[in-house]
Amino acid sequence: MIWRIVGKDMLENTLSLRFLLSMLLALGLFVAGSILFLDRHRTQTEDYWKQANENQSGLRERCDKLYRLAFYRQEVLRRPGALAFCAEGSEKSLPTLFQFTMFTKELAGAGGRSNYILPHFSDIDWAFIVSMIFSFVALVFTYDSICGEKEAGTLRLMLADAVPRYAVLLGKYLAAMLTLGLPLLVGMLASLIVVASSPDVALHPTAWLRIGVLVLLALLYLSIFVLLGISVSSRAAHAANSMVILLLCWVGLVILVPSLGRVVSDMSLKGPTQMELERNLQEASRQVWDNRDQYGERAGSMSHDLSWPGNNPPARARLRTAATEARNRVLEDHHDRMLAQVFAGRNFTSFSPAILYQRVAEAVAGTGIHHCVTVYRQIRQYQTDLKQYVHSVDSEDPNSLHLIFDEEGCAKSWQAVSHRPVDFDTVPKFQEREPPLGESVRSAIWDISLLGLFNAAFFAAAWISFMRYDVR
Amino acid sequence: MIWQIVKKEFLLSLMTFKFAVGVIVCIVLTAVFVPILARDYEQRLRTYHENVARDEAELQKVKVYRNIRPTVFRAPAVLSVFSEGLDKRIDASATIALGQVPRMRGAAAQGNPYQSIFPVFDASLIFRIVISVLALLVAYDAVSGERERGTLKLALSGHVRRSTILLGKLLAGMMVLVVPVTVVFVIALVILLSFPLVDLTSSDWGRIALMYVASLIFTAAMYNLGLLFSCLTRRSATSLVLGLFLWVFFVVVVPNGSVYLASQRRSVESRKALDAQIATWRKGCDRRARDSVTMEGDGSQSDAEDAFGSYYHRKLEGAAMKYYSAYYPIWHRLSIECADKCWEIERGYLAHLAAQKRVAADLSRISPICLYERAISTLAGTDEGSWQAFIDAVGEQRKGLIDYVRAKTDDFNATTLFTPYTQEQMAGLQREGQDPPLNLDDLPRFTYRSVAVRDIRRAIPDLGLLAFTNLLLFALSFVAFLRYDVR
Repeated sequence: MIWRIVGKDMLENTLSLRFLLSMLLALGLFVAGSILFLDRHRTQTEDYWKQANENQSGLRERCDKLYRLAFYRQEVLRRPGALAFCAEGSEKSLPTLFQFTMFTKELAGAGGRSNYILPHFSDIDWAFIVSMIFSFVALVFTYDSICGEKEAGTLRLMLADAVPRYAVLLGKYLAAMLTLGLPLLVGMLASLIVVASSPDVALHPTAWLRIGVLVLLALLYLSIFVLLGISVSSRAAHAANSMVILLLCWVGLVILVPSLGRVVSDMSLKGPTQMELERNLQEASRQVWDNRDQYGERAGSMSHDLSWPGNNPPARARLRTAATEARNRVLEDHHDRMLAQVFAGRNFTSFSPAILYQRVAEAVAGTGIHHCVTVYRQIRQYQTDLKQYVHSVDSEDPNSLHLIFDEEGCAKSWQAVSHRPVDFDTVPKFQEREPPLGESVRSAIWDISLLGLFNAAFFAAAWISFMRYDVR
Repeated sequence: MIWQIVKKEFLLSLMTFKFAVGVIVCIVLTAVFVPILARDYEQRLRTYHENVARDEAELQKVKVYRNIRPTVFRAPAVLSVFSEGLDKRIDASATIALGQVPRMRGAAAQGNPYQSIFPVFDASLIFRIVISVLALLVAYDAVSGERERGTLKLALSGHVRRSTILLGKLLAGMMVLVVPVTVVFVIALVILLSFPLVDLTSSDWGRIALMYVASLIFTAAMYNLGLLFSCLTRRSATSLVLGLFLWVFFVVVVPNGSVYLASQRRSVESRKALDAQIATWRKGCDRRARDSVTMEGDGSQSDAEDAFGSYYHRKLEGAAMKYYSAYYPIWHRLSIECADKCWEIERGYLAHLAAQKRVAADLSRISPICLYERAISTLAGTDEGSWQAFIDAVGEQRKGLIDYVRAKTDDFNATTLFTPYTQEQMAGLQREGQDPPLNLDDLPRFTYRSVAVRDIRRAIPDLGLLAFTNLLLFALSFVAFLRYDVR
């Protein structure tokens, strides 16, 4: 019986104007979004490889002496994700350029082609189309699913038979999901065809797996709105009233709540400014230098002539290392505070399913803020690897002082670090790695379960309202 | 006759469920949003005052003329509560230095770049989203609904002309929609004024009045859109679906899509090459200055810390004094020259950014919601034009500073440019304790107020286009209604 209801509803839906309109809108947006994505991906990839090659050749050039390699200042760009057409995650305005040496790293800056006088906007990616457009389409499909039939008088007829109410409810739900899934899948397919047929984007097997997960998540998200539509529809007496309520719910959940993020983030935590950072850095370095004697005698004085009696290389190394560590601590702390501020705003708005969905999609596609955080972490790991490498090569040189600290002048004049050439092939190179899918999903598991919870809540609401619905 | 129709329509719409819910939602949203926005404004205002005070304190410590390098700030616009515009995207501070022409910068570089993921949030959201959909909901069944109920046939069987009916509907719709618009404005203003730090000047009131007018024109446009669909379709459900799809297109797709399209089709250059070019220029200028003078002989010297993170010479003897007296005038003239050169390069880049923005704005003009958004942010003084005016004012301030320093230091030739002492005082003088700071009371301080008339003039094209949209839509619905089959 359920399938007969599903069949009837689907037929009715697919022949309607709204289906035609949503199909057209979905196809247009998916295709246009993917074409624009290809355009940008091309320029971004070019920029990325150009920078990566520059960085590599700089590294190669500095292989003539180990100490030069150790003080090389690397510049890498965040790698443009191939799945950015699924969820771009505002990456265009997030920091892209990462500068670091073996000892320390700068705060990431905007190295891309961002334009700050453009207003804030979202890319036309899958996450945007699903969270903004399809959630609306879901409501348009379901706003009259119960009360419309009541107005037409067919609901009474249907229930006069031996059809249980739950069958009607499930049938309506399945029919709405199927009719909604049709334009969604067609649009996604069109978008995939556009992307996959381009030679610029390489989709690996794991990427396809991620895309599959994204499709499932999109359905999970849309099911919330279908259930919301049905539950409101089985509360309202007229279809027009149900539409009004649903529209306002949609506006609240999808547009108004997410836009609260900035204000909440500004007000909940005081953001660290560049000026403050500079003050803190000065303060930290001053503290180390004021207590320079605790690192050993004459740590504060230095001459490039090693035989000068004022020199005390080990003490100098301890002092400079302490200064670097203090600097790194301040920078890390600043970065953590910036992240905390943003997450405060974002977590506050996460009672909107749209934000939850966007977050999950970003996590699965490997984009967004977490991408930046991952690059940061990988750079830190790389710094340790490089340091280890320099240590091991340096220890083989009897002429070196074996003091590796952040002062290039000393390394050069004192031979604090070896001056021997190194083999470029053995030098560790920075390569951004994508976290495995399992890890991405695990980081999003909390949000996914919240999406599930929304589903359960709205399903219960739909169930109760429909069981108590007066069909007359 | 027309007034009878207006009265009937007005009362009918006023009593509907959708109208009641819409108005209640508007009131609730205003009551929730405006206090949040006002507190945010107060916080920004306090930060602004702190910054200004800190800068002034720093300015009082300056000891030599070459180190006058104040940072000026733009006070947050109180009307940003209504329209945020670019307020949080552009850096509200600019440093006035002799050797650098100030330019517009993104806020991300100075604050928290991760915050750029958040969309804008202001009171005009209520108009752009809620009242626009309310206007559509009021209008969608104006004609097709009456046809379904059969009352249209009855009304037209009398001696009523079709134009009278349509005009009556328009007037009634407008009268109904004036209610939420006015209510939102009144509540927002009352809440806003209850905050102690909020101070509205008479020009602000003028801007608010224009915003009110703009909101009415916009609401009318959305109503006319609904009316057009109502006249084009036979069933009210169809006109609702059509109207809503178009609304979503206008409200969600166009604002994002137009910018996305513009940013892809007209890609800007990366800043890297530009920065490298500027750095080369600066280096060249430094080298030229160094090469032009050479230090002959020996001379002892000592430095001390000055305000704005710079330093000044405390003691200069013999050759050092001679060297710096020759070096600094040349260096300053060269660096001002170099700043102009760098500005030429910079200007090309900024023109690119502006062109991209212009393309995005032109594309977005197909949506009345974008037209309205732009008009409101121009009126609130938060669009890029008013930021440009601020930066231009900072540029003027820099020119004033250059003239001031020139006048005070005899065109960079006096020793007060780089040391508090004259050559005679330097010679063999033992100095204990602090050096006295400069008396900068006659230095013109930076004040900036955006000029209301200029902003309003900039808003006219968008407002005009919005009004034209109204006329066009009404004309179309008029034609459609004349040909409407009322059976």
